[in-house]
Amino acid sequence: MASMKCTKCGAPVEFDTGDKFVKCSYCSSQIFIDRSGAGFYYALPFSVQENDAVGIFRRWAGGSTRAKDLDKLAQISSLKKQYFPVYMFKRDVNGMEQVYVEPAASTTLPGLHSLKVPGGDLKVFDDKFSTNGAEMIKIDIEMAPYLSNLPGAPKEQALVYFPIWKLDYVFEQKNYVVVISASSGEVFSAEFPPRSSAAYIAVAGIGFLAFLAEGILALFSPLLAVGLIAVTIAGVFVASNFVARRM
Amino acid sequence: MSISVGLNCPACGGAIQISEGENVLNCNYCGSLLWAEGDAGVMTVAFRNAQGRDSVLRATEEWWRKGFKARDLRTKGKLLECYPIYLPFWSTTTRVAGWICGYEERHHTDRNGNTRTERIPKEEMVLHDYRYTNIACDPGDLGVKFLRNVSGEASFADFESIPTFESTTSKDDMVEMSKQNALSDARSDANVPHITFEKVTAIPKQISQIFYPVWVVRYSYGERMYMATVDGVTGKVLSGRAPGDALYQSLAMTGGTSVSGLIAAGSIAFGIGSGEGTIAIIGLVVGAAVLGFTYRFFRHGSEIIEGDFDDKRSSDLGKELRKGLKFNVGGFRI
Repeated sequence: MASMKCTKCGAPVEFDTGDKFVKCSYCSSQIFIDRSGAGFYYALPFSVQENDAVGIFRRWAGGSTRAKDLDKLAQISSLKKQYFPVYMFKRDVNGMEQVYVEPAASTTLPGLHSLKVPGGDLKVFDDKFSTNGAEMIKIDIEMAPYLSNLPGAPKEQALVYFPIWKLDYVFEQKNYVVVISASSGEVFSAEFPPRSSAAYIAVAGIGFLAFLAEGILALFSPLLAVGLIAVTIAGVFVASNFVARRM
Repeated sequence: MSISVGLNCPACGGAIQISEGENVLNCNYCGSLLWAEGDAGVMTVAFRNAQGRDSVLRATEEWWRKGFKARDLRTKGKLLECYPIYLPFWSTTTRVAGWICGYEERHHTDRNGNTRTERIPKEEMVLHDYRYTNIACDPGDLGVKFLRNVSGEASFADFESIPTFESTTSKDDMVEMSKQNALSDARSDANVPHITFEKVTAIPKQISQIFYPVWVVRYSYGERMYMATVDGVTGKVLSGRAPGDALYQSLAMTGGTSVSGLIAAGSIAFGIGSGEGTIAIIGLVVGAAVLGFTYRFFRHGSEIIEGDFDDKRSSDLGKELRKGLKFNVGGFRI
């Protein structure tokens, strides 16, 4: 909670991130908070802990487009708890509110330069805020250049510390990196070892053609066709079960 | 520069009371009618969280048993944590009014095989309220983008105890998007296939912010960590990821190839036999659709994804999105 002085009686008044109007608890006058000329510091708390981050990575690595058994074979070489800074600008452009998010640190990490608006329980970032041992990524891009390039008039601008887990892993002697949002558990990745669809397509294609041929055969020799269809059903089932488990 | 502004009545100097979303008010002391200028904000509603830990966990376990999820999820799945959050949504009501004129064409074929085209003129009046909801922040990996339910007990009682996601997207973007959606929905509801003239206007009637309680459940299956979200008002599972089962994948593929192959064979045989080419083509298209749908499940069914996720690869995605986006409340049609 941040606080300011009441404009009427001078008593401290506490207000939260999203508040536009607050009431002074001493003199009960209503105060409007004008954020257009100030810069705020916010942070999102870590709701994904270390073990959860590893588990989320394994779930992601087990996905259907990732290399088979990546979740078991990937060697996690490092896992870092970090706060990544982004700027959030609310602007009044021709009477319409527009929101812009820009990175405040240069990075090559996946997902962070195209961050949308980080979702989460925004907290005012001040000396009472505990980072719980997370590394703070240094800000190396100033807010001023962004401000002069953005359209419209300012409504609010803030620096938001976005909580991430940076996870490096090794698969077949190659290094990869993923970023896991510690607010929602979303996984960002640029490059990962992919899984080939060839075996899946082969089973589907051969199965389809076999049944097609047997269907036409049924016109000439129904008994033989029914027998072959039964064999093909068993064959396709065994093959697809093997592919789904192993490929 | 100070960031706080005290509010006084310009006529009598008395303190005025105004809440977010209002801009016209009467002074409590002298009764002057006042107009507040500036960033007025939007009306905000919060729904009371009606679920508890136990009911949320039970709903998740029940969800495990449904659909084509891993058969051993019931025994191997471990519920790890579960907590409520308030998610912000924009909710808009947009009225569309106007006229859409045009015609519909119907083809009639008589016994001699002559085709006659009938043109039916249509003149539809459009007067309808459309309501849309959309999440007001980046949902990340929660898989919730629209509200399924907009009724519940409005209360700010739990607001302090439950973490609240701030709304960070622009409300004006939402108003603009609602106008576009309302216009295109009104056009499709008017059901005029060939439009020759239209004069329709979308009028934004109301925008509000709804804080909706959603429970996040994390569970593990082997070494993997999955999640699901549960509606804090109705107690239903909103979205989630779950492990799939190779047995269902291979059954789908076996069924898919056999059904599509035999349909294709049947339609080709019938087409050649009767000389009716269109039936053969229709049969082949149906066969290809069955094959494509089952292949998708075979290829990606190792993870079952329900809800509004971007990496969802099921074929009903478009339908689901539309269903979530549009449900009409109130309004009337003449």
